[in-house]
Amino acid sequence: MNQPAIAQPLKTWSHLAARRRKPSEYEIVSTNLHYTTDRPDAPFELDPDFPPAQWFKTHRNASPLKHADWNAFRDPDEMVYRTYNMLQDGQENYVFGLLDQFSERGHDAMLERAWVRHLAHIYTPARYLFHALQMGSAYLCQMAPASTISNAATYQTADSLRWLTHTAYRTAELAKRFEGQGFEGQGFGTGERAVWETDPAWQGLRELVERGLATYDWGEHFVAMNLVARPAVEEAVLRGLGQAARHNGDTLLALLCDAQLVDADRHRRWTGALVKMMLDSAGNRPVLEGWLAKWAPLGDAAMEAYSAHLPDARDAGGLARDAAGAYRQSIGL
Amino acid sequence: MLQSKIRQRRMAVAFILLIERGDDGSSQIGAEKNDKPEEHAMALLDRSEWYDLARSTNWTPTFVTDEDLFPDVMTGAQGVPAEKWEVYDEPYKTSFPEYVSIQREKDAGAYSVKAALQRSRIFDDADPGWRSILKSHYGAIALGEYAAMSAEARMARFGRAPGMRNMATFGMMDENRHAQLQLFFPHEYCPKDRQFDWGHKAYHTNEWAAIAARHAFDDLFMARSATDIAVMLTFAFETGFTNMQFLGLAADAAEAGDYTFSSLISSIQTDESRHAQIGGPALQVLIANGRKAEAQKLVDVAIGRAWRIFCILTGPSMDYNTPLAHRKQSFKEFMQEWIVGQFERALIDLGLDLPWYWDKMIAEFDYQHHAYQMGLWFWRPTLWWNPAAGVTPDCRDWLEEKYPGWNDTFGKAWDVIIDNLAAGHPERTFPQTLPIVCNMSQIPICAVPGNRWNVKDYPLDYEGRLYHFNSEIDRWIFEQEPQRYRGHMTVVDRFLAGQIQPADLSGALAYMGLQPGESGDDAHGYAWVEAYRNRRMAAE
Repeated sequence: MNQPAIAQPLKTWSHLAARRRKPSEYEIVSTNLHYTTDRPDAPFELDPDFPPAQWFKTHRNASPLKHADWNAFRDPDEMVYRTYNMLQDGQENYVFGLLDQFSERGHDAMLERAWVRHLAHIYTPARYLFHALQMGSAYLCQMAPASTISNAATYQTADSLRWLTHTAYRTAELAKRFEGQGFEGQGFGTGERAVWETDPAWQGLRELVERGLATYDWGEHFVAMNLVARPAVEEAVLRGLGQAARHNGDTLLALLCDAQLVDADRHRRWTGALVKMMLDSAGNRPVLEGWLAKWAPLGDAAMEAYSAHLPDARDAGGLARDAAGAYRQSIGL
Repeated sequence: MLQSKIRQRRMAVAFILLIERGDDGSSQIGAEKNDKPEEHAMALLDRSEWYDLARSTNWTPTFVTDEDLFPDVMTGAQGVPAEKWEVYDEPYKTSFPEYVSIQREKDAGAYSVKAALQRSRIFDDADPGWRSILKSHYGAIALGEYAAMSAEARMARFGRAPGMRNMATFGMMDENRHAQLQLFFPHEYCPKDRQFDWGHKAYHTNEWAAIAARHAFDDLFMARSATDIAVMLTFAFETGFTNMQFLGLAADAAEAGDYTFSSLISSIQTDESRHAQIGGPALQVLIANGRKAEAQKLVDVAIGRAWRIFCILTGPSMDYNTPLAHRKQSFKEFMQEWIVGQFERALIDLGLDLPWYWDKMIAEFDYQHHAYQMGLWFWRPTLWWNPAAGVTPDCRDWLEEKYPGWNDTFGKAWDVIIDNLAAGHPERTFPQTLPIVCNMSQIPICAVPGNRWNVKDYPLDYEGRLYHFNSEIDRWIFEQEPQRYRGHMTVVDRFLAGQIQPADLSGALAYMGLQPGESGDDAHGYAWVEAYRNRRMAAE
């Protein structure tokens, strides 16, 4: 008789069972979770061609970036929700401990007036920039072809909100301290939008993120945001601004920037692992390098423009550009 | 606020460390007391002092157009311009440091309950009907929660209000959590029972209930714009309906002694009730800007779709699979309390009307899930869980009490099944024909059998194709936006189109991904028929 065999219980999910290796918690809860990638002709269990289906077929399924098995991607940090909160709760205890301690010592009162003016110019408007990064990562989360990529993007979205939160907090603190002291108009908590929209220091970065956000092919979006915009922000703003802060007696801001760079390092680890996996498929290198040729100059110009406004930071733009380039080189590009 | 938060957090961390070290005695606790951080003057700002800045992040793009940045297919702002969304004010406020702290504590609770109960025998000792609830729940919900993460991400990217984008960022995280928790727990049961593999597998198959779940969730949120998602997923679905699956089942789980499941889904519900509040202020913006009709339609479509999916998922769970002794409320009572009682008020408070079909839906509370239960049990080989019949003599008394007339309608159909089983003809209790599947719900069309027969197809001819619907509500949903649904084929459409080969039950099961060992059968191995057999023998 041709009776099919009776399926026996397995030690793990059937899609992981073939490997004969005990799966980690990370693999159990993170792998192969997108069902919309199962049928390329119809992402949703609805009409195959109505506008949202077209969006996914165009911007995800038809991306020039190809891989036979996107679900093979693994985050090198194997981050899961449970450990993310443990990690970031600890990090936030550290940051709010700093904010508490520096406030208690009267840190802001000891800042030089010239530096305080710089803060309103080159620091507090960054909340718009960080929010743009948050929006970009949320796009990557919903468009990535594998749940392991989406999860990394989710934690990156939350990290960006974290940076925005620190900036909003410090903006409010500076506004409180310097209220009525000649910062009106361009002042803390009131002037940031105008600076972000018009000041030359920010226009390169704004152009970069606006264009990156409006790029909807998931692969090109990843290149624009994770390989160009984020490294530009990290090198010019977090590292460059952090260094300028250190040189101007603003230890608090320097430490805040360093704390955020810890997140950025984690983003770079998974981004690097994903690029490595992409490069395993022969056709992807020209695609990635074509996009980089388009985006990296925008990133370089953005770093140059911003860094030129950093006080006491000689050739910060050149250093940032080199560092961003070196990062891309280190991951095989 | 935040000062005390930090103090609380330090204490919470100490507490968590204590839990993680295990239950090894009082000396540890004493040591923790001595470790208590010193009190000193805190100099942190209150959250309210900086919260508004964290949600003042809209700017005017100039390098790309506003339409480039917020394309309508993803944003769906119904023509309400960006500046009108600035008044959006989320009622439940939280911030990154509070979120990670609170969620860390919640997870420590959820996972520690699991660790403690891992050694208990609840799973082995539980009634098989209860295990079936776990299987259907995890299979239908885990990857649906993960899909909701994508939907939250759409609001985080394309929502027009910064407050909405920030809250949706926490919503993304929440749904990431719910998927991970509801994969981690059933995974523990995989070595005991192959059907638990479906906790992960169901959404990747063409099993018909999985198709129905995907169709509903894709329509409610996966294939919707940010604004639609705020209204349909967070307001209509989460405020209204997840309460049912999560609070209702949590109560039954506690009764059944399954504290793992009970505390798990209660913990999930605390996140849901936070991010469900994304929708209310979005509705207020729409209504204030003259878009009440559009908002009302989204709500009406969402409630109609949510009702169907919960009717088949939660209804049979509560009224048939939960062992009689552990039932807290009937499904109908639960619907009356949570949907009619509470949700109705939420709709009116926002200035919306009740959906036009409200009375028709309430009328369905009396019968639709009983019809679905018959379908589930009858088509049991096509399920990834073993449905409990739930029609012992005692159960029938309960059903008759909760749903007067049950014996005269559904009972009549069950009598035929029971007669065949009692007479030793189980083969006569399996389906021989194809059902007609609703082109909206993807569930077989069914209603009241027996002496009050009211089964009826609600057909629609659209562009030369004949569609079938379970009710006026399902057909009305189709008519609101036919291009969204028209090209989709039900599993029976596929069967009739020759896509499923061989064209018999074995071919259908293979198409659905069900092998022997996975395919469902009666939860209790028909042991419940014995009572009827004994009655008969006594009568003879």
